[in-house]
Amino acid sequence: MSLNRNRLYIRVIIASVVGYVWILLQVTKNNFSNNPFRVCFLKQITNIPCPSCGTTRSVTSIIQGHFLDALYSNPLGYLIFIVLLISPFWILKDLFKKTNTFLQFYIKILTTIKKPKIAFVLIVLVILNWIWNINKGL
Amino acid sequence: MDAQKVDLFIMTNGKFFESHQINVIRDRMLQIDESKWSALSVTQFKDPTTILIVSLLAGPLGIDRFMIGDTAMGIGKLITCGGFGIWTIVDWFLIQKATREKNIEKIQRFL
Repeated sequence: MSLNRNRLYIRVIIASVVGYVWILLQVTKNNFSNNPFRVCFLKQITNIPCPSCGTTRSVTSIIQGHFLDALYSNPLGYLIFIVLLISPFWILKDLFKKTNTFLQFYIKILTTIKKPKIAFVLIVLVILNWIWNINKGL
Repeated sequence: MDAQKVDLFIMTNGKFFESHQINVIRDRMLQIDESKWSALSVTQFKDPTTILIVSLLAGPLGIDRFMIGDTAMGIGKLITCGGFGIWTIVDWFLIQKATREKNIEKIQRFL
């Protein structure tokens, strides 16, 4: 694998920081319906929600304790919430202890996802979620 | 390897690599054994132009990244609405270089 440890860790930390800032902004603002600014490129152009539309609403609902609302907004929110919660601290632990457990886990997950059977199931799930998103009219 | 074969390979596949890397590839190919030619000549490379078109059309879904084998980045793009739209636009300009880098990684297995 060409990706080296530090490059991966920097990317994940930057993504996490952006994620935290974004979620924090949305939690403090808490007015999705009045917000004319839409981040989703696909929705702005075609007016069709993308498979991950509603994830921010989902994560903020989880933070506020509305777990069913979160599931209804977008189940992907749970995945993002877990990744945001765990990955930065795991990386920091790795950096302090000078180990590479996160990198090993990352490679393991990637090789698992790339297996055709698992990839197929995941693709079907994403498409089903997308159809659900369109039906919900997010 | 025979210089004629190497030049034929470069002429057919040159567009899949960065221009500054082509000379290095040529030199390395001239040094390697003839037996690798059959494997090398049938290797499929990703066309940067095709990937750019995919990026323009399906960038927000991360399909471009999935196609070049960057599964992790693809998932990242998919679950963030194309990186809030910003990553999608940035990738319109970066994806061709990324594709060529992936092609280099692929050819390095033979060189």
